[in-house]
Amino acid sequence: MAVTAVGTVAVSVVLLGTILFLHESFAIFMKQVVGQVTIAAYLKDNSPKAMVDGTMRVMKSDPRVQSVTFVSKKQAMDGLRDRLRGQMNLNLINTNPLPDAIMIHPADPNDAAAIAKRLQGLPSVATVNYRSDVTQKLLRVESVLGAVGLGVVGLLLAATALLIYNTIRLTVFARRSEIHIMQLVGATHWTVRWPFVFEGILTGVAGAVIGIALLEFAYRTFAPKLAIDLPFLPFNFAVVPVGTIALELLGTGALIGMLASMLSVSRYLRST
Amino acid sequence: MIVFKGVGLVYPNGVHALSDIDLELGRGEFVFLVGGTGQGKSSLLKCIYREAEPTTGEVDIDGIPLRGIAPGQIPFLRRKVGVVFQDFKLLQQKTVWENVAYALQVTGASSRDVMRRVPRMLELVGIAHKSKMFPYELSGGEQQRTAIARSLVNNPLILLCDEPTGNLDPETSNEIMALLARINAKGTTVVVATHNQAVVDRMRRRVVRLTNGRIAHDQERGHYHIGLG
Repeated sequence: MAVTAVGTVAVSVVLLGTILFLHESFAIFMKQVVGQVTIAAYLKDNSPKAMVDGTMRVMKSDPRVQSVTFVSKKQAMDGLRDRLRGQMNLNLINTNPLPDAIMIHPADPNDAAAIAKRLQGLPSVATVNYRSDVTQKLLRVESVLGAVGLGVVGLLLAATALLIYNTIRLTVFARRSEIHIMQLVGATHWTVRWPFVFEGILTGVAGAVIGIALLEFAYRTFAPKLAIDLPFLPFNFAVVPVGTIALELLGTGALIGMLASMLSVSRYLRST
Repeated sequence: MIVFKGVGLVYPNGVHALSDIDLELGRGEFVFLVGGTGQGKSSLLKCIYREAEPTTGEVDIDGIPLRGIAPGQIPFLRRKVGVVFQDFKLLQQKTVWENVAYALQVTGASSRDVMRRVPRMLELVGIAHKSKMFPYELSGGEQQRTAIARSLVNNPLILLCDEPTGNLDPETSNEIMALLARINAKGTTVVVATHNQAVVDRMRRRVVRLTNGRIAHDQERGHYHIGLG
């Protein structure tokens, strides 16, 4: 088992693990942010109650909508008063300029724009507001990062597989007379192949274990500091499923080692 | 047992190794293949244990045509055909016992079977007392005995020997040939490719002479120089 191959698997696993970690944490962050998307439909003043009820009914019957809540002018003012308590005394204002509103939670944040458009067409609705720009940008960033991450991971895995493939080829070449003897006494291709495949799996697993140990060390050392020092980063370190990522990396290492070595020995056996 | 019908063999590098070989070797026969270096003896043996595939013609082993045999079936053919080489081809990191056992293990034999058959085979070839030694600790004759034990442990129908005495002194050569004769007497077909004139002339078995990849002479109870005038 070549040290170089194990080392390269370890480096690949570190990079792959970092990408997986960042992807997972960003995905969790996205779920939290995008999951909070609320569409606020501010109603025209003096809209008849029947018309407001109609708007509520239309929204409740829309399958894309998860929940619909009516917020009266008074509730809105009370809420605002609560939020600004200690900063501004709203009791000084005699009138309530806030309109009645309907708050809508879409089941899928991607439907927010379509629901908002539908609301806009209803007669009791004055204006519709949701953070469309932020939501759309985040969704786009997520898809771009996902694609780039996938590409980088793909390249890394291919490079790792190629290295294990070559390492096993060298081993096969060094043991070609032994393989020849095995074949002469009637060993099947699988009997010849198995020790090399085992070596490939071992290379992959050994590299993955080293890589995971390095990642674990980095995670323990840097994650808490980063979480405190850079709180604005969209990564939620605490909730990332580190154990699952480690298992995925171990499985990937073993799989790559197995496939690369199988390919390598099979190619040699075909040529004999 | 072994039938060659119009067999020709051209290696990928263009060398014509065999041409128009028609040959029939019966069950339990002992045959010497003789001829100078590069005349096709080893190539003929390779066609039997399917190390080489004839370019033309047919080779049948025990009634089974080898043409078009699936690659997955070749190991099973080789369990019927034992092969012994001039350079012994033993696994250096395994003991005598392990080398012989290995040939059984790759066929999936049970460990009980291995424990039963290996000592018997080592006894037969007269190497049982060195079963724990490694090949590099043995003399040439002892290594060849180990190789013969390994090739016989699966009870093959045929034993092919490619220059089995090439690296041995005359006395050891005689011992090895006597061993091969004993194995043949038990019913195994034995084919020996050799340059060893003394052995061939003393044993007076069937001799097939190859010249330029063709059968030049084939004689029962022949001698080394058949067909050389």
